[in-house]
Order: sequence, then C-alpha cells, then structure tokens
Amino acid sequence: MSCIHRAPAGLKLGASLVLIVGLAALPAERAGWGLCALPLLLLITVLARLELKTQLSRLAFALPFLLGVASLAAFQPHGLRTSLGLLLKSAISLFTLQLLGSTTSISELLRVLRLIKLPEPLCDAIALLARYSSLLSDEARRMRRARAGRTLRASRWRLWRALGSSLGLLFVRTVSRAERVQIAMRSRGGG
Amino acid sequence: MHIPDGFLSARVALSYAALSSLGVGAACYRLRAQRDRGASALLGVSAAFVFAAQMVNFPVAAGTSGHLVGSALAAALLGLPGALVVMTAVIIVQCLVFADGGVFALGANLFNMGLVGCVVGFCCYRLACGAAPSPTRRVASVAFAGWCATIAGALSCAGQLALSGAAPLKVLLPAMLGVHALIGVGEAVIGALVVASVLRFRPELLEKYEPAERFARPQAGALSAGLGLSVAVAALLAPLAYAAPDGFSRVTQTLGLRASASPPLLAPLSEYGVPGFISGAFATVLAGCLGTLLLFGLCWLLARALVPRPSGSLGTSEASEASEASEQARVAVESSG
Repeated sequence: MSCIHRAPAGLKLGASLVLIVGLAALPAERAGWGLCALPLLLLITVLARLELKTQLSRLAFALPFLLGVASLAAFQPHGLRTSLGLLLKSAISLFTLQLLGSTTSISELLRVLRLIKLPEPLCDAIALLARYSSLLSDEARRMRRARAGRTLRASRWRLWRALGSSLGLLFVRTVSRAERVQIAMRSRGGG
Repeated sequence: MHIPDGFLSARVALSYAALSSLGVGAACYRLRAQRDRGASALLGVSAAFVFAAQMVNFPVAAGTSGHLVGSALAAALLGLPGALVVMTAVIIVQCLVFADGGVFALGANLFNMGLVGCVVGFCCYRLACGAAPSPTRRVASVAFAGWCATIAGALSCAGQLALSGAAPLKVLLPAMLGVHALIGVGEAVIGALVVASVLRFRPELLEKYEPAERFARPQAGALSAGLGLSVAVAALLAPLAYAAPDGFSRVTQTLGLRASASPPLLAPLSEYGVPGFISGAFATVLAGCLGTLLLFGLCWLLARALVPRPSGSLGTSEASEASEASEQARVAVESSG
C-alpha cells in the first residue's frame, strides 16, 4: 500500500475529474499544453509503485476507438492538427483514469458515490455488482472450460450456440442466486 | 461504443450528463415507487451478470472477437427501469474501475448505451412481441431489439461527436452506422441465443417481469408515440446520411475497411433508393423501412432455427428426449446454482 493507495478516494476522484475537465476544455489546437500534466501523472505512477509497462499496455487496448475517431477528425480544415490534439487529450485522460482505477478500490469509490447522494437503487446495484461480478465471471470461465473440454472441434455457429446457451444458463443461475440472496437479506431483517 | 475523454466538448458532455441523470433519476424513482423488495437483489446480481457476460468473447473472424453489450437483452429480461439501473451500474463501474469510457464523457456514454439502448430496445421488443407472444416471436423480437438498440446508440454517439466538433457528421454517420450494423447483427444473434436458452430452462422468468395485461393499452399509446418520434428522427437524419456517399467511400478507403463493411442488407437499398420510386430523402426513409422489415424477417428465421418446435410437429421420441434433457438441465441448475 503506497501513499497514493491510502489517499482518500474522494480526493483522487475529484483531482482526476478536475484534470480531465480541464483537458476537455482545452481547444484541440492547444492540446500540447496537456503534456504539462504528464510529469505529475508519471510521478504518481512511481509513487504508487505501478508498473509503467502494464499501464501502457492497458492504454493500447483502447487505441482502436481513439485512432478511429481521430482519423475521422482528419476530414475537416486543419484536420491533422485537430486529430493529433484529440488523440493527445484522450490518451492523457485515459492514463489519469487508469491511475485512479488501479489505486482505488471499488468499495471506497462506492462510499464516495453514496456521499454525493447517488440514488439508492443505483448504489445498491453497484455494491452487489462489485460483490458478485468476480463470482459470476469465475462461473462463466468455468462453464467455458467445461464446454471446451467436452467439445474438441466445433464449427463457428455451433460454438456461438454453445456460448450463447451457456450465457442463458448463467442468467438462470444468476436469478436463482438473487432469490437466495434476497431470502438471506430478509431473514437478517434487511432488504 | 465507449467514448473516451477528450473527444467531447464541455458543453456537449455536460448537457448529455444532465439528460442521462434525468433518465436514470426517473428510473430510480419508478423502482422506488413500485418498491418490490425482491427487485433490489435481482437488479444487483443482474448487473453482475451483464458485466460477466460482456467478458465472454464470441469469435468472429480472423482472430477478432465480439461481445454482448446487453442493454436490449436487459430491457427484455428486467423491464425498462430495472434495465436502465443495471446498465448504469455496469457503465459506471467500467468507467471508474477499468477506465473503459471517460469519466467526463460518462453522461454521454450513459445516454448512448443506457438510456437510448434500453428505451429503444424495450420499445422495439414490446412492439415486436405484442401481448402473450409465442416463444419464436419472443426470440425474434429480442434479436430485432438488439439490432435496433445498437444502431440507435451508434446514431446518438455519432451525433455527440459531431456536435463537439470532433469530426464532421457527414463522415462520422456512415462510418459509425456501417460498423455498428455489423456489430448489431452479433448483438442480435447473441441476445436470441441467450433468450432461447432461458426459455428452455426457466420460461417463466421471461413472463415474470412483463407488465400485466391491463397495462397493455396505455403502453401501446406510449409506444406509438415513441415509434412516431423515431420515425421523425430518422426522417431528419436520412437526408444527412444520404448526402454523404462520397464521404463514406473516402472513409472506407482511408480506414482500410473493405466495402463489405457496410450493412449487407441495407447496402443495395440505400445505394439506389427504391427503384421506380421518388429518389431523395423519401426513398432513403422507405429503404430504411424495407431494410428493417427484411431484418425482422431474418430475425424470425433465426428464432425458428433456435426454438424447438412444439411437440406436435416433432417426432415424439425426439420431443420426449428434448423435454427430458431440459428437465435434467433444470435439475442441474437447481442443484449447482
């Protein structure tokens, strides 16, 4: 746990938001000023003991959409400059968000969201999502592995059918799990 | 379709944030008003389901793969307010924890994938489904709703990017629509597969969250209003889309997309208008309607392929085998779930 991890989640969320809104307000022709934020972000990466390589590879995942829109932006007057500016702005914003996501746990974020009075059903949904998503992803992975073990070779259509019906089964299991969670909540006097 | 930060201007981002927080607020209000105590756990766990389902990759071609977005599917399974809250939770977590989609662009993303996706998906599903639908019709409607929701989301995404001045609408609209017509086909097929298997294991789940019979009539009024609105939007947008064939070919060349990346169904129609009719915007709208009808027919064929026939038309031994298999599956679900 570094000092960045321990910093209050509200502060981190607010600071990232300020930086990102500032970048969005910057006109695309002056996007070079966004580079000023880079030393700060790199300092945070070092202080949080995050691997720069992992962060960059995660950045590369989002590249297709960025490049797509940026290349469309080239179809207008001063197109090249605009598209480069957009690319720079969005890459820095993305890096900021990644730092936020990898140094803040979802339960801390949830506390902030409750503090700023997000509607209660939404907060409940996020809390349960945080609690059950890893469980359900594990279940999906298990089902996929079982399927792969049973099916040695399959045409693409058969594979799609198999994957789709396992998703349907996952939903059915989800609902029965929700029913049990609800019974448990009610029997403890909540819900 | 997750818009990252940096592409939207401050004005567009803020106004869409206001719009979608209104929508989500209304959904939360509805949920709190009907206050079905069983719903809160179901919504949360369904959000986890949508989240997990988005991680299952479906192989497309040449090493690429696609995944479900799920707003139309959620609208069909959970009803409109529930689906909206579920999608909102998923999009917020994706943004804040996984940096997928921007935080300043969160309102716009919520609008495209949550509000537009769920509302259009729900309306198309209800409209195509009618009251007391057969399983085939239900599966076909989910497929159709998935395609429509994807296209509508792509439309509003292109509109937001153009309003922010990221790129001209003439270029954005054909590119986004072309790509998302294909993505929508994937969404339609996956949604149909999921609903077909839910129908096999626990068909009552699909009826559980449906409005009661007595709500059918006022909702039909709301639906026709929604349909009229969408036709109006289509009529407003169609001339814009029609004015840009040269932009589209330029985009496809520069992006290295093949010409087949355009919607395979709509391409021959939208290229020429409907032959023998008036050309221009009217022909485009007409072509859009015909293409949509054709698409619905294809969805119906898909549903026919996925839903097993009622036992009358099937060989009896096969039918009993099928029901036995589904019984076994149900036992497996209940014991392991």
